[in-house]
Amino acid sequence: MAVEFKKINGDSLPYFALVVILAIVTAAGFYAYVLDHQIAGLNGLSNRVPWGIVNAGIPYFIGLSAGSLIVSALAGVFNIKKYKVFSRIAAYMAAAWIIAAILSIALDIGKLYHFMNAVRYFNLTSIFSWNAFLYSSYFVICSIYLLVQFEEMDRATRFMAGLAVFWAVLVHSGTGAIYSFVYSKELYHSALTPPMFIVCAITSGLGLLLANLYFTFRFTKRELDPSLIRGLALIFAGLMMILGYFLAVEGLEKGYIPALHEAVQFVFLNPGASIFWSFWLLIVFGIAIPIIIVLNPKTGYNLKWISLAGIMHAALVFAERFYLIVPGQVFPEEYLPGYELESLHTLEGYIVSYTPTIIEWAQIIGLIAMVYLIYVVGVRIFALIPERAVEEDVDVEVVKE
Amino acid sequence: MMSRRKFLILTGAVAAGAILPAQISAKTQFVETAEEVRAKRRWAMAVDVSKCTECVKELVAKTGNPEVKPPCVVACDRENNVPEFEDKRIDPQWMRIAKLKLNKPSVNPEEFYIPLLCNHCEHPPCVQVCLTQASFQRPDGIVVVDIHRCIGCRYCMIACPYGARSFNFRDPMEGLKEVNPEVPMRAEGVVEKCTFCAHRVDKAVAEGKEPVPACVEACHLYGKGALTFGNIKDPNSKVSQILRDNLAVQLRANLGTDPHVFYLKLGGE
Repeated sequence: MAVEFKKINGDSLPYFALVVILAIVTAAGFYAYVLDHQIAGLNGLSNRVPWGIVNAGIPYFIGLSAGSLIVSALAGVFNIKKYKVFSRIAAYMAAAWIIAAILSIALDIGKLYHFMNAVRYFNLTSIFSWNAFLYSSYFVICSIYLLVQFEEMDRATRFMAGLAVFWAVLVHSGTGAIYSFVYSKELYHSALTPPMFIVCAITSGLGLLLANLYFTFRFTKRELDPSLIRGLALIFAGLMMILGYFLAVEGLEKGYIPALHEAVQFVFLNPGASIFWSFWLLIVFGIAIPIIIVLNPKTGYNLKWISLAGIMHAALVFAERFYLIVPGQVFPEEYLPGYELESLHTLEGYIVSYTPTIIEWAQIIGLIAMVYLIYVVGVRIFALIPERAVEEDVDVEVVKE
Repeated sequence: MMSRRKFLILTGAVAAGAILPAQISAKTQFVETAEEVRAKRRWAMAVDVSKCTECVKELVAKTGNPEVKPPCVVACDRENNVPEFEDKRIDPQWMRIAKLKLNKPSVNPEEFYIPLLCNHCEHPPCVQVCLTQASFQRPDGIVVVDIHRCIGCRYCMIACPYGARSFNFRDPMEGLKEVNPEVPMRAEGVVEKCTFCAHRVDKAVAEGKEPVPACVEACHLYGKGALTFGNIKDPNSKVSQILRDNLAVQLRANLGTDPHVFYLKLGGE
């Protein structure tokens, strides 16, 4: 039986309240940006740590987008009919998150009105330059993919799904490479980061999608079959384990190098700094506990618990981005190996702490609110969510329970 | 089918599009081609660490200020309109002095001082990563930032192995007492760094003289003459001679960036 997609009515008071709240938070985020650029010293950045959480927003949002799209498109590529019920919502979210990612770049750069230079003066050797092209083309691909789904063009949908997955992997590997190809920072330089980004994208995108589905179906009082979610949740848990594995390999490899002992100790064993917390909170609350929630038979079939696991993981993947971007800047590089160096006139050679300020958080939270605003408005305008998402309807064998 | 009228308009537009940009863009008329410059000139600096150490140590002892700015740094700040801000976290600094100490103080407790500045690498990572080609390398090896192209993404600061770049978190004018009109002013929101005093280099080359950056000039006038600047493509230049006669060390040479600030006499020989 075909899946029926239907718009929501969206005329209830809670719906309008939600739209207004999201709009206010979004506006606050953009206002924070204006303040940040008008008044110096409102952010925690410095010449030693020039990339903070607004920059971390770029890989984070792209991850959520790529993850969401890969989940959506895999249903199309492998023709898994039962997941087709989620494919529109996931593709729509993917397009919304990429807008947030591009805006995150716009909020982060110092000269916004020079932005078009990135298009005019393309630099072939700059990974970020390539990504500027990849992000915009990715948005177009997302939109076309969504369009052919609306038009129920089956063959075109399958083709676009394949292209979208390929492009999402390209986009997100490229994003990982922005950081990990930087060879001047030992803590950045790694070939593992791009594949880790892909895994992390799928887990965070999937985690948020699970929660998204649960709340949307509950809010609109539509029927959602837990066994459908269960299948996705198992993929979610499995990929989180792979993410944990990547993080472990990466950390152990860095810890093996005597030159990095001090830096590694600083990152992993120094509870005085936010870097320590970003890593260990991710491991405990972002990976271990969500895995336990999904695998524990008492909680693993409960949509509420699964959404909690999804939200916990997706939220703490932001900590993963922080852990990836900040330590490499905070911990000083050795200019002349074997010598301790301290600059008299700058902070080179010193550990320069970075604490994100409320102004920076407001920008990130504002962008997240903007994405959900796009979503909440979208489900009213477009037929994104199925009338009911139940296993028998989509005619596939029941997952063993 | 396309009408003749439409076809003509279209071809006309395409032709105009192809011709106009070349007409409008102010093409610089070079006296020499890039290849000629590349064959003739490559600027580099040599630092005599023992002389530099002597100078800074004397200054620190005399002023009692461990963060005193020696003549080279003061001259650089003045020459290049490098602003002065209280907060070290955001204060741009093109040239700065660093204290070096062997990791084994029991073997050698001695402190050395070296100047840090943009290394004008042969393979500059900042140019490699720049989104907009705002950071670029001139044929004579000097790496500069086109502040009109810079979007302020700070990728170059992340990529630079030598911490040579500063971001203008504030408008530099706020931190300046006087402005040297010879050097272009930077705005808030872009990245800046040492240019080897490219304006002085260009002027001197045009006049057929030996270029002297502000720091080198000050170092010889008021310091111990630790800095030497010159053209390493010219085997008779002073810097070429010095580099031939000494064991020169480049910072983080293992990265393959081939920096062109060379440090000599680290042991004070």
